[in-house]
Amino acid sequence: MEQAAIEVTGLAKKYGAVTALAEVSLRVARGTVLAVLGHNGAGKTTLLDILSTRTRPSAGSARVCGFDVVRAGRQVRKRIGVTGQFAAVDEALSGRGNLELVARLLGANARQARARAAELLAVFELEDAAGRPARTYSGGMRRRLDLAAGLVGDPEVLFLDEPTTGLDPISRAGLWGTVERLAARGTTVVLTTQYLEEADRLADHVVVLGLGHVTISGRPAQLKARLGERTATLTFGTDLAAQRARTALDRLGLRHTSADPGLVLGVALAGPADVPVLVRALDAAGAPLKDLTVTEPTLDDVYLSLHRNPAVP
Amino acid sequence: MTEARHRAAPRPVLTNPATWPESGFGTQVRVLAARSLRTAFGDRRLVFFGLAQPIVLLLLFSQVFSGVSTLPGVAAYQGYVNFLVPATLVNIAMTTAMSSGAGLLAEIHSGFTGRLRCLPISLTAVLVARTIADSARLAVQLLVTVIASVALLGFRPTGGVLGLGAALLLTLLVGWCLSWVFVAITTWLRKAETLQLASFVVMFPLMFSSSAYMPLDTMPGWLRVVSAINPLTYAIDAARALALGRPPGWSIPVALGIAAVAALAGGWVAARTFRSARGVALP
Repeated sequence: MEQAAIEVTGLAKKYGAVTALAEVSLRVARGTVLAVLGHNGAGKTTLLDILSTRTRPSAGSARVCGFDVVRAGRQVRKRIGVTGQFAAVDEALSGRGNLELVARLLGANARQARARAAELLAVFELEDAAGRPARTYSGGMRRRLDLAAGLVGDPEVLFLDEPTTGLDPISRAGLWGTVERLAARGTTVVLTTQYLEEADRLADHVVVLGLGHVTISGRPAQLKARLGERTATLTFGTDLAAQRARTALDRLGLRHTSADPGLVLGVALAGPADVPVLVRALDAAGAPLKDLTVTEPTLDDVYLSLHRNPAVP
Repeated sequence: MTEARHRAAPRPVLTNPATWPESGFGTQVRVLAARSLRTAFGDRRLVFFGLAQPIVLLLLFSQVFSGVSTLPGVAAYQGYVNFLVPATLVNIAMTTAMSSGAGLLAEIHSGFTGRLRCLPISLTAVLVARTIADSARLAVQLLVTVIASVALLGFRPTGGVLGLGAALLLTLLVGWCLSWVFVAITTWLRKAETLQLASFVVMFPLMFSSSAYMPLDTMPGWLRVVSAINPLTYAIDAARALALGRPPGWSIPVALGIAAVAALAGGWVAARTFRSARGVALP
């Protein structure tokens, strides 16, 4: 088996009497994107703090690129990039100054640092603001600068702690694009998020943390297949057709709800095979469809069903 | 590790971090200190008030306590200003050391030290850089204060250029050592309000129970005992003796010895606790 980018075994962290992580084990393959989902206080940031060597675990072990985060912290730090929830840039330095500073600390000489900073400023569209102090940057620009600073050393593993919290939709889409490009180049990405849409869009693998435990883990598609519900929305042209459809659905044993003014019906489907059955039944019942849409389950549904029933395996 | 990475296109050598050597301790200190200095001197208001503060203090104290100049312990100095200025230099060293802690705390809370903690660099280098940068700021403050007191208040450093230079150097060293104490307190307390309170609780008694403002002979007996064990008394006596060309007695080695011990203890505590300090409040 190829060595994993991240291997976490029985990881726990206590702050005094507070248990931030109870017992977490997970594995992230190289070049994949892991999304860690969970509400505030679920342990997401603590997990990232331990993996990026900022906090020591109370129990268990974690390896990043094959190096133990406690015993070989420096080797880990050489291979990771970190972008925080609170964009950590030097307010007084310019965008260029911030990037050059990180490059110099990573061993670049002045010329290399300038070149690398220029390259990243271009990638993140910060060239126009490159000379301005970071304190004059907007939230989105600051977040881009923070991400650029995390990428100066071309890390093998990138940690993103709630990278799009508080960003406008355009900045969010831009950041998603960046993560996708990095993953395509082989960078392993671990991101925490409260947005299920984000995990759905970016992640190869999703872990849901709750009260310091891994509540559920799998590919986004698996989670949705297991827990989500497909819904068909049916629109009819007449009251009569809608009425006939209700009768037909009752006969089929499918749950349905109707929206005002009664011409639109929502039907819960067990799987994709239900769609042709549904259409044939409606045809036979003399209820012609005006429109039919099938909605895929979202991770929001997964999230909600977990919270309705936290014991789901 | 590197061979397992799948990278799309070869990168130009200049911008390829894989070709960078690791940065050494000296480089880290230099780069970080330069950054702190740029931040400190880039803020014009900070520079202005940093320089104005000691001059205001001097003007105030020299006028309020002018009646003291005839007291037996002060008369020998031919003017209270000569008694006061060397003590004020040490006072400045103390407040600058205090601001060293406050500056570090601001960076812990802004998350900037969090970024540094994720880099393959020495955290001791981060702290050394901060104390060195603050000492450079202190050097400028001390010079401006001395020039202003000679020009405006009639301060006469009878120890000559050499004596005055030695007094400034000693004050600078004491200030650098003190900044380690405040950096240690900062990494330990990690809260701005607590830090400010703790600093004042430490600073005011130290200043006023020393030989800074009044000769020891005028103090009540118990305060004289306190001032005899107050490390600042020795730093002030040493600075005064050097600047004014008076016999320093044991004050110079005692002052430097205490400062060195304080710096070592502070440095040890700071290096240990800084590794575990986080940028945000703990859950």
